[in-house]
Amino acid sequence: MIERRHAAWMAAPSVAILAGVAIVPVFAAIWLSLHRSIVIFHDQRFVGLANFRFLLSDGRFWSALGTTIHFTVVAVAAEIALGLAVALVLRRGGGLLRAAVILPWAIPTAVSARMWAWLFNADYGLLHRLAPAVDWLGSPATALYAAILVDVWKTTPFVALILLAGLSSIPESVYEAALVDGASAPRTFFGITLPLLKPALLVALLFRSLDAFRVFDAIYVLTEGGPANSTETLSIYAYKTLMRSGDFGYGSTLSVATFACALVIGLSFVRWLGRER
Amino acid sequence: MMPGMRAIGLLALASLACARTAPRDASEVVFRHQPLWGDPAPFHAMLDRFRRENPDVRVRDETMPNASDMAREMFLTTLDGGGTELDLFAIDVVWAPEFARAGWLADLSAAFPADRLRDAYLPGAIDAVTLGGRVYAVPWYLDVGLLYYRTDLVPRAPRTYDELSQFARAAMQRDPGLSGFLWQGRQYEGLDCNVFESIWGHGGDLVRGGGIALDTPAARTGLAWLREAIATGLSPRSVLSSAEEETRRAFQDGRAVFLRNWPYVWAEAQNEGSPIRGRIGFAPLPTVTGEPGHGTLGGWQLAVNARSPPMRRRAAERLAAFLTSPDAAVELALRYSRIPARRAVYDDPRVREGAPFIAALLPIAAAARPRPVTPYYALASDSIQGELSAAVAGLRPPADALSRAQAIVDHLQENR
Amino acid sequence: MKRAAILLFFVGPLFWQLLTSLWPEAELTSALPHSLTMANYAGLGVPFARAVANSFLVAAATTVLCLAAGASAAFAIAKLEFRGRSLLLGGALAISMFPPIATVSPLYLGLRAIGLRDTLAGLVLPYAAFALPLTLWLLTSFFREVPDEIFNAALVDGCTPWQVFLRVYLPLSWPALATCAILVFIFCWNELLFALSFISTPERRTVPAAIALFAGEHVEPWGQIAAASVVAIVPLAALTFAFQKRIVAGLTAGAVKG
Repeated sequence: MIERRHAAWMAAPSVAILAGVAIVPVFAAIWLSLHRSIVIFHDQRFVGLANFRFLLSDGRFWSALGTTIHFTVVAVAAEIALGLAVALVLRRGGGLLRAAVILPWAIPTAVSARMWAWLFNADYGLLHRLAPAVDWLGSPATALYAAILVDVWKTTPFVALILLAGLSSIPESVYEAALVDGASAPRTFFGITLPLLKPALLVALLFRSLDAFRVFDAIYVLTEGGPANSTETLSIYAYKTLMRSGDFGYGSTLSVATFACALVIGLSFVRWLGRER
Repeated sequence: MMPGMRAIGLLALASLACARTAPRDASEVVFRHQPLWGDPAPFHAMLDRFRRENPDVRVRDETMPNASDMAREMFLTTLDGGGTELDLFAIDVVWAPEFARAGWLADLSAAFPADRLRDAYLPGAIDAVTLGGRVYAVPWYLDVGLLYYRTDLVPRAPRTYDELSQFARAAMQRDPGLSGFLWQGRQYEGLDCNVFESIWGHGGDLVRGGGIALDTPAARTGLAWLREAIATGLSPRSVLSSAEEETRRAFQDGRAVFLRNWPYVWAEAQNEGSPIRGRIGFAPLPTVTGEPGHGTLGGWQLAVNARSPPMRRRAAERLAAFLTSPDAAVELALRYSRIPARRAVYDDPRVREGAPFIAALLPIAAAARPRPVTPYYALASDSIQGELSAAVAGLRPPADALSRAQAIVDHLQENR
Repeated sequence: MKRAAILLFFVGPLFWQLLTSLWPEAELTSALPHSLTMANYAGLGVPFARAVANSFLVAAATTVLCLAAGASAAFAIAKLEFRGRSLLLGGALAISMFPPIATVSPLYLGLRAIGLRDTLAGLVLPYAAFALPLTLWLLTSFFREVPDEIFNAALVDGCTPWQVFLRVYLPLSWPALATCAILVFIFCWNELLFALSFISTPERRTVPAAIALFAGEHVEPWGQIAAASVVAIVPLAALTFAFQKRIVAGLTAGAVKG
């Protein structure tokens, strides 16, 4: 009994912060999304589901959703593939190499995006000098891939570390047995390494997918969603509606929609992971 | 618990670092504006003259960051928070209706009656600062979109879009290294200005029933014309990622026949060392009919904080009257190449003598049109840019882009 | 060969940025600089130093708050019996996956209502909320690994659970606390969305916001931006190299055990 009271007091500050600053705001956002609300004009009234009806017919929302999914799928696939390759190399030791590889993960995304923006720069950027025909950030055809490249650069280290941890939990004896059986290197990889790595792969997939789905920093710094809104993701659209257009009603509708999508992704992964275990 | 104490200490420190500026005495007027490029001395001398003539008013002059969106952010924060740390301030032409609707701007109609302003100022400048017949700001200086051309490459300034295209193609045929027509097509406010000019040039109007109207036949042809300019090679694809400076540099390097830009280009292109010095002309933008076109109105206006106490408000109005007086406008034109908002200043002998380019701008400045004067324009502009950008880049047909932009604008405006 | 490719991809861009920061502004158009200069660093001046100080203040305050609130809660979850333990842990995990944009509008209005919008203090609470989940998970798994015998023995000696936590477990847990502190600090140092949404006065910007909004009068000052980036990277690079093992352990524990 005493223990329970103690426990309650010890957990209270954390519960208060999590509830007050994360959970209550989500419900408040849902409440706001049912309003027309232009904050600077003190214009606020209840409109029910009108914002959601508009959302369904809003072409820009569907474009942003498509862009977000495009970004997430391509970026995460590339990160998993590259992360696996890096993890396999790192397994053979190399503390300095390991430290050098985590560096991109530790750097603020805003900083790395600025750094890449300079590499992409259409006048004097290094990548532009190497391939002058490509206007990385200026052309709607390439801008999203430029953002994906930045994301891959920044987060592959994270994937590699998780997979490395997964790899090191595979006992050496399994490989020795395969060696005795005379299995080829590709067969060992696909027959032993990949299946045993599956839990780590799924965790990396879950974390990266949810993280990529809410992408904001890299795109905001690189292109602000342009050119021609071709890199506008849900977070960018919601941010612009809130902070540039000052429309807190519809902006909240967009953020609630983003939240709902993330929830669907998260829950499906959790069910998948649950089945796997 | 130690960490807790430290947290509180740090939080206190953090909020201390953010403490607002100290209060000041009742007779001091704070004037906040963007810096005028160039030597600040003449402007300071101007303020000193005001101080001498008005010994009862103390003026403090504060400058803001140069970037316009950053300045807007600062005003939003200060004014939305009910701040009184500034009394008189310079605002961009598209902010006036929005700030007025938010209740941040004092109604200046008593000190600056609308009909008196209309007599003295160019029409576009006054349209931009009046909302529902009330005056919320006084025009300080203008900016206006116009067409530059190479006198050595074309016979004369084109009057219609067809002429522009014809002249450009003839010159491009002679020299394949040339671009035809440069304008600003990046996704930003400048794109809106370019598209609006084309819409006006195709006989369109942007306001209907007090709201922003983009989904109109003229708007579709106007936007389609810009898209076609890129598709047919009249304009290079690089305009899609260009703002003012990129296009000015290309034009000034002698790489283009025509350029749509603001008046500041003239001084740069006529500078010593400019490759095209003495070989450029300027003209109103073309239209379908051949009548002189309308350039987008830009520039800065002086507004008074609605929250300033009455005494400071009256003092701020006096300072505004002084800064927008004909003499001040002449000085701004001569010393800082600022385009006057007052009609009479263009005929002033000092301006005709000292700044003939500005004096010659009168017809173009008089025809300048503001972007839609509604409280929602500044808010909607970001959404409009995305759709216009998609249309000029060829990602979707102009008609689709405009109807999507219209849907977003309507959703934001009250009429839904 | 493979190692060289990996190094080139992950470290090459950083090296180029370092070189750009030393590149004289007037020579940026040439293929390589003819001489190196510190002018770009000198040009950053007071405004960027202030951004660094702001970031440091916010990150430090958040870290302290997170550890203070998180350690006791993690201890309670790991060692004490109470209803809702798994709910708290699961809820924290769910929160760590929230898209932060979902909370921007209410937090903005809330901070505005209590006068904390556009202050550094106003950033600390949202940061703490999004950094707490990681803290809870890491510390809970650490406390779980400490044998229960210690806890029970201390209780028999007449200590309250709170005293056991303070006198026995906290001193034991400094390695885990350090790992947490580093990760939380890095999270705060890197955050952009809230900093951009809630702070509008340039003097109060944090490093990511200052770099994102770095603007010159006409053209972008790439040399100075590069210099600012290097300044923003150096503390993190130092942290990463010094505590590499800890960071890796913390990250993978948080991920794999989840």
